[in-house]
Amino acid sequence: MTDSLPLLSLCLAWPLLGALSLAFIQDSELAKRGALLVAAVELLFTVAAAWVFDTARDDFQLLEDYPWIPGLNIHYQLGVDGISILFLPMTALLTLMALLASWNSVRHLNRFQLALMLALESVTIGVFTALDLALFFLFWELTLPPIFFLIGLWGIGAERRYAAMKYTLYMLFGGVPILFGIILLAINHAHYTGGAIPQDLAFSLPVLLNTPIPDSAQGLIFLLLFLGFAVKAPLLPFHTWLPTTAIEAPAFLSALLVGLKLGVYGIIRFAIPLAPQAALEHRWLLAILGAVTLIYGALIALQQTNLRRLLAYSSISHVGLVIVGIAAFNLQGLQGAVMQLLNFGIVAGSLMLLAGMIQQRLGSTDLVHLGGLAKPMPRLTVLFFVFVLSSIGVPGTNGFPAELLMILGALQAYPALAMVALFGAVLGAAYLLGFVRRAFFGPVVHDSVAKAQDLRPRELALLVVPVLLVLMIGLYPQWLLSWQETSLQSWWQRLSMAVPQVTTESKHTQKTAILGVPSDGSI
Amino acid sequence: MAAYATLIPLFPLLAALLIGGLHFCRIIDGEAGEKTTARLALTAIGLSVLTALGLLIADLSGLLPDSVSYGAWLRSGTLTVDYTLATGGFNLVLASLFSLLLLVAIRFSVNYLHREAGFHRFFFILNLFAAAMLLLVLSGNAVFTFIAWEIAGVCSYWLIAYAYDRPIAAHNATRVFVTNRIGDGGFILAICLALAWLENADWQTINLSAADLEPGDATLLALSFAVAAFAKSAQIPFTPWLARAMEGPTPSSAIFYGGAMIHAGVFLIIQLEPLFMQAPLAMSLLTVIGALTAIYSYWVGLSQTDIKSSQIFATSAQLGLMFAECGLGFWTLAAWHLCAHAVVRCYLLLTAPSILHNTHGQPIQPVAPALANCRWAFIASLQRGWLEPAMDWLLVKPVLRLAKDVRYIDEHIVDKALGAPAPAIRAVSSLAQWEEQKMGANLDSQEDSFAQGSGLAGKLAQWTAALLNWFEYHFILRGIGRDSIRFGRRLGQAANRFEQLLLQPRYLALFVLITLMVALGYR
Repeated sequence: MTDSLPLLSLCLAWPLLGALSLAFIQDSELAKRGALLVAAVELLFTVAAAWVFDTARDDFQLLEDYPWIPGLNIHYQLGVDGISILFLPMTALLTLMALLASWNSVRHLNRFQLALMLALESVTIGVFTALDLALFFLFWELTLPPIFFLIGLWGIGAERRYAAMKYTLYMLFGGVPILFGIILLAINHAHYTGGAIPQDLAFSLPVLLNTPIPDSAQGLIFLLLFLGFAVKAPLLPFHTWLPTTAIEAPAFLSALLVGLKLGVYGIIRFAIPLAPQAALEHRWLLAILGAVTLIYGALIALQQTNLRRLLAYSSISHVGLVIVGIAAFNLQGLQGAVMQLLNFGIVAGSLMLLAGMIQQRLGSTDLVHLGGLAKPMPRLTVLFFVFVLSSIGVPGTNGFPAELLMILGALQAYPALAMVALFGAVLGAAYLLGFVRRAFFGPVVHDSVAKAQDLRPRELALLVVPVLLVLMIGLYPQWLLSWQETSLQSWWQRLSMAVPQVTTESKHTQKTAILGVPSDGSI
Repeated sequence: MAAYATLIPLFPLLAALLIGGLHFCRIIDGEAGEKTTARLALTAIGLSVLTALGLLIADLSGLLPDSVSYGAWLRSGTLTVDYTLATGGFNLVLASLFSLLLLVAIRFSVNYLHREAGFHRFFFILNLFAAAMLLLVLSGNAVFTFIAWEIAGVCSYWLIAYAYDRPIAAHNATRVFVTNRIGDGGFILAICLALAWLENADWQTINLSAADLEPGDATLLALSFAVAAFAKSAQIPFTPWLARAMEGPTPSSAIFYGGAMIHAGVFLIIQLEPLFMQAPLAMSLLTVIGALTAIYSYWVGLSQTDIKSSQIFATSAQLGLMFAECGLGFWTLAAWHLCAHAVVRCYLLLTAPSILHNTHGQPIQPVAPALANCRWAFIASLQRGWLEPAMDWLLVKPVLRLAKDVRYIDEHIVDKALGAPAPAIRAVSSLAQWEEQKMGANLDSQEDSFAQGSGLAGKLAQWTAALLNWFEYHFILRGIGRDSIRFGRRLGQAANRFEQLLLQPRYLALFVLITLMVALGYR
């Protein structure tokens, strides 16, 4: 089934074409404008995709399906559902912001940087739209080369090459179990249909979702996929690449890295639905890992003196909460989790870009070089504060509904973990506001701070949209939730259908009634 | 007609957005813009007063329904959170009263803050606070009350940090916000419990279903709300934040901590009368905490030497009395007490500088000799009962120390254990080195290793390579024993350090906590 206009392919190919065409533009100023134009048009394309998306349907839409490697039954299959659709405009927006933020900060190999950014955008869109697991894995691994070069060539720290290598090694390590998991899934399908191995393998997600997997294999598949995605998420103890990268990488790339949570997306999209029984069996693992990551990240963030490291650890802490929300395995936790993933792109990305702007002005984001920033830079302070409030989860911003839903979900599944999440919320206020106090408030002690320039029009312009989104979603979250509601509901129903004992096992019959599950739910 | 109630908080909100937006764009700025700002603020709050009074008259003549709903704000499965306003007696009375007090305070500020640097910022915050406070008393839904509750808290944070270049102000603001965040945890928990048990967080639903809840559940719900109320209304053990909050300009102190916000806790309890009547334990807690706070505040107030501090301890003493009244079941008395106290305290704090002026040179009445001669009591009073150091010692310091330890573990153990690529500096750093290496020199290791790695993955790869090498070169690898003694000693030292750490109280407490939580989780 193919729609008349291959919108997703267009979204996928357009930035890549733009990146290639940059090779023919010699003038770097012209190249910057060209890249910006490409990114802006890409944003329009993704918004158009979201526009034609039918929120009432719960299946994959905008499908495109062509055979790619017929020998292995691998397809070029793209499609989006309510879970993934909004990640497309978010990716496009974040890339556009990152391009604008790097406008003056990149001084050498200008065109190559622009091309890499656009290529990265293309590949990221690919990760969000690929329905064929082999295709997905291709995009997943293809994110590495652009990031490797972006960190290594334009990093702002002294150890940027080390950071680039560390990032790449970690991600390669994470890729291996995912590949194994995917191969196991494909082979299992061939076994299930009783077909021959090379021709009857299946890599298509919609097909695999309907292929039952024996219990013994499910556990292995789930753990493999989960391990691979946990490295990218990042979850404890695989998180150490993020602080290093955040401090060494250029701010516009760090913004993409903390903003786009591909790992958690992978867990929601692939790891759990493909191995539902195993996921339910291991949900305690997810929940505890999430809770530990949440507190662990928050505690370390409390100790940080560098803004970019602090943001990295706060991002780790938030991922922990999202995992707790997912592990609750109810609609509320899941809605909150997906919403928070979208928030990340806006809030964590913008905070990182703001950190980059401070870095560009003062040459550092470390506390010893800051202090009293509010006086010379009131506008930057105001915007920073809006995002900080959202990150803390203050009502009126988009962080609150997501956090409320996740805590509500966790409370229904694991009351004790909800308490941990609440404690994490207190810590969140402590580390962020503590940093604001020491960096933005107080007297101005450094000359460089006193002379620092407030936000320029270009920087203001790039932050206006995220600020408006923060307030808009905060004031009316249903607007965002309505995109995902149908898909998430069927996601969750599929999961509870696969394992009937979930509902009957539950002690609190009242709760299942709330969630609208037939208590005798069966396949 | 009841639908007009939403205008009461909407007018100040619009004024706040206008002032904030125009000031951010530097359209109104400096002394020239003061008139515009003042006019906007006064018009908005004036309209709110008129609307509130009009609706109050309509309500008194029995024309209004109890509540009015504007539609869903958030939906998740069968859970809904509606935007509902309560247009019944006490809510409208308080809305009228608070809007009048706000009008007075805003009018007072126009002169008081003339030519202050942060004039526009102050009016933006005050208007936002007005909107939050009026929404707080009018909201028919726990979620919206919490939204207003928290926005009022953020406004209070901003105003305490009004003179943000003074480190003490910024420090106090952060401290106050984080303290209040603990109470917010209670509120969020209560909302989540209500949503999980009742599918709805309308005050009416909570109060009506209170009788159907199991006594234990009702008590838990009431206690969670009580924690939120204690924190907001500065009851023991949260009382010290109130004294720290006196950093802001006088009119804001008057309206925040004299007139409106400080009463939010008592208002919450009065609102939940039917729920608390189902929870005798929570009622007795209200009485005990209220009475304790009253005594404590009276005692500490005796030794205060500046007018703002003595006022503020009088405030918390009065609030303690209100809590005690609620706990004893005198709900109507508490409601009257609240209204009367709001008026009196707002007036007293607004006129505090004038009072000082008028009573200049007249010594205040000395404390009764029987009390004045108790030396220990005097010290206790001067030290404000050591309440804050006690909280520091109990909560803040252990968390900070834990954070330090976790950071150490992260940087020195987790990061290393997981492995990282060899830093670039250890590799070839000069051409000469590279040439030497080409000729066969081994520069970076005393052993004949050709692959180097650190951490789990790195070591694994290294060892595998070494093993293969071993077979390859016919058992010629030698001399591993050299380091074993040194390694053993180091291991012993590390074990010792670990054990010492385990014996520290914070870890002991942590283990007890974890055990409790696990027990709770498997209940």
